[in-house]
Amino acid sequence: MKFFTVLGIVFYAVMIMVIGLALIVFALNLLLPADINNLLTFAQGNHNSRVAIGFSGALLILISFSFAQIILGKFQREKTIAFTTSSGQVTISLSAVEDLIRRLAGIIPEVKELRPNVVANKKGIIVEMRVVLRSEANIPELTSRLQDITKSKIQEILGVDEQIIIRIHVAKITYDEKDARRKKDFEQEDRSTIPFSGYGRV
Amino acid sequence: MNRDESRNELGVLRIHKNVISSISLIAATEIDGVKRVGRDLKSGLAELLGNKFFSAIKVDISRNEEVKVQIPLIIKYGYNIPEIANRVQENVRLALEKMSNLSIKEINVNVQGIERG
Repeated sequence: MKFFTVLGIVFYAVMIMVIGLALIVFALNLLLPADINNLLTFAQGNHNSRVAIGFSGALLILISFSFAQIILGKFQREKTIAFTTSSGQVTISLSAVEDLIRRLAGIIPEVKELRPNVVANKKGIIVEMRVVLRSEANIPELTSRLQDITKSKIQEILGVDEQIIIRIHVAKITYDEKDARRKKDFEQEDRSTIPFSGYGRV
Repeated sequence: MNRDESRNELGVLRIHKNVISSISLIAATEIDGVKRVGRDLKSGLAELLGNKFFSAIKVDISRNEEVKVQIPLIIKYGYNIPEIANRVQENVRLALEKMSNLSIKEINVNVQGIERG
């Protein structure tokens, strides 16, 4: 573990203990509000103590900032697919894979909305999709097609040989009024006959 | 160590980490299929404050002057990620070796996202 990580953990443990002790002391009536007031008045009155408090505040902000970054960095590192090439390591963030799957919604017109969640574990890559379909869609055929497309797209773009499991959850089937109206208008136009259109045919 | 250092008979040549980072940035974005270099907390804050040249590329120089570069990338939709990552690694290695004569230990690519080209 890196020195700053240890320092951050120790710092936070000490701070939480100090806050806990202060609360216990206050609850046991060992520390009176007047004492706190005197301490604060003394701190504000003395120029050196104010400078020290100001620097401590800045230091606390810096420690918190670096600690948050360490935690976020670790969190991000865990959610990746990694492989090694001759020049070094390549990590692909799972959110990048989710972006990729989200783009597939544009390819299939029957899919109105697609929300993917990708998990990588020992079993392989598990993709869970929550989809909103348009009413004219044939669900078994469409979901099977979506699974195939997603699988081949992931294999093609990521170039991984691991097992890919795709789970689809159809959350909603929407009826788009605009689309229905357009379809109806088109059908009506189609039905209306063109005068003398039948003549001249052999 | 913040910069790579080499000595000749006339004096010392120092190459700052930012120079390595800039070379890597240009070499990485040269590859077709790379949308842009990704961001982290620091570069995001720097960009908010108006510093557009602060990149998220991390450069580590070890005691024996070996360079390790970490490049976060956003790749264009439709491109093969391992192929693009490999090409980025090769181009960055070539550019760094050509421009700085440094010994490159690792070039790690982290694909953070995919965007429409």
